[in-house]
Amino acid sequence: MQLRKFAAGAYVANLVGLATVREMAAVMTAIVMSGRTGGAYAARIATMKGNEEIDALEVMGIPVLDYLVLPAVLALLITMPLLYLYGCLVGMLGGFVVATAMLDVTAAGFFHQTIGAVGFDQFVFGFCKSAAFAVLIGLASCQIGLRAGRSAADVGVAATSAVVAGIVGVIALDAVFAVAANMIGF
Amino acid sequence: MRDVTLAFGTKIIQNGLSFAIRRGSIFAVMGGSGCGKSTVLKSMVGLLRPRQGEFLVDGRSYWQAGEAERLAISRRFGVLFQNAALWSSMTVGENVALPMEAFTRLGARDIRRLVAMKLALVGMEHAIDQYPSELSGGMRKRAGLAGALALDPDVLFFDEPSAGLDPITSSRLDELILNLRDGLGATVVIVSHELPSLFAIADDGIFLDARTRTALAHGSPAALRDQSADAQIRAFMHRTAEADPAAVGGSGG
Repeated sequence: MQLRKFAAGAYVANLVGLATVREMAAVMTAIVMSGRTGGAYAARIATMKGNEEIDALEVMGIPVLDYLVLPAVLALLITMPLLYLYGCLVGMLGGFVVATAMLDVTAAGFFHQTIGAVGFDQFVFGFCKSAAFAVLIGLASCQIGLRAGRSAADVGVAATSAVVAGIVGVIALDAVFAVAANMIGF
Repeated sequence: MRDVTLAFGTKIIQNGLSFAIRRGSIFAVMGGSGCGKSTVLKSMVGLLRPRQGEFLVDGRSYWQAGEAERLAISRRFGVLFQNAALWSSMTVGENVALPMEAFTRLGARDIRRLVAMKLALVGMEHAIDQYPSELSGGMRKRAGLAGALALDPDVLFFDEPSAGLDPITSSRLDELILNLRDGLGATVVIVSHELPSLFAIADDGIFLDARTRTALAHGSPAALRDQSADAQIRAFMHRTAEADPAAVGGSGG
């Protein structure tokens, strides 16, 4: 709506498209997943720790990293990029609705602008960021769970730490990506 | 164990521990609450590196060895934790099967049969598809024992196996431990302060003290009860409160 002031309503498709695909979809998905799954991973592992289940694995010689952490990280690595793509779709759909309903942009116009502005390479960029966020969230939350204390309160502390660490980590990593992209002129 | 010191951070739990466990014997680690019995056990199964000293298994130093060798040694150990430490998201059957799946090349059907056999040993075949949360404390312990026996270990470690068990289940567990020694030739290290069980099954042992943070005596529980020169040990083994209230406060943990 603010674009109206600059008579730039026509560019809303470009903005929405690029912002969603490059940044918003990846970051928002990652933040939600950090809260949802990162917290769950940390709580689950911290509870296992309190119940001596982690000790039992170690004593048996089953490597905790392979058995607990790797599948968790892989699960995120597979699903988060897919969720990112879904997020892109929904984000651009939202932009479409606002543009056509309130900014007098035609459907065809929106579609045309979006395709013109958002190339395949932008999707690749966002996709890769999503994958990086997935690994970050998975590893961080599992590590926090493994380092948790053994009481019930410690499980809660681990869960909240994991969520916060995930969110802050995602935003920091996003900044790194932005700077790197800028440096190579992308 | 030779001159071992165990500590968490700056807090020394036990100092200068030296003892030997004979193969095929049942060795008891005794002492008041908080003296570090479980800590000694944890250092023997690889969960706590001693601050100082050596832990030798068949002459090989456990902690100086590389990780692969340590794992190989650990694989001959079976451990029953205080709360059974069953993996709560898996059924009892899956719990017992996990070590087999991880370390043997047996097929699913053979594993299932072996699991049933191990569970039958502890009288838990009926619970093969139940989750640990659905079982009572005694049943969980027995299931945990089946898991500890999964790979036919040479050495078994029990951390307070009778804690929370009714007398009958406790005596059944004692019988089972004796069978394991006599039938399988297993060496058993048991941390406990259940006197009836200790007298019934232990051949040898060590008595740890929280105050002096070292071992007060070596010998079987029966020998310690009858022949110990130390008043604290005698009181412990006869289950009578000590005459000196200061001493009681100190070793209460």
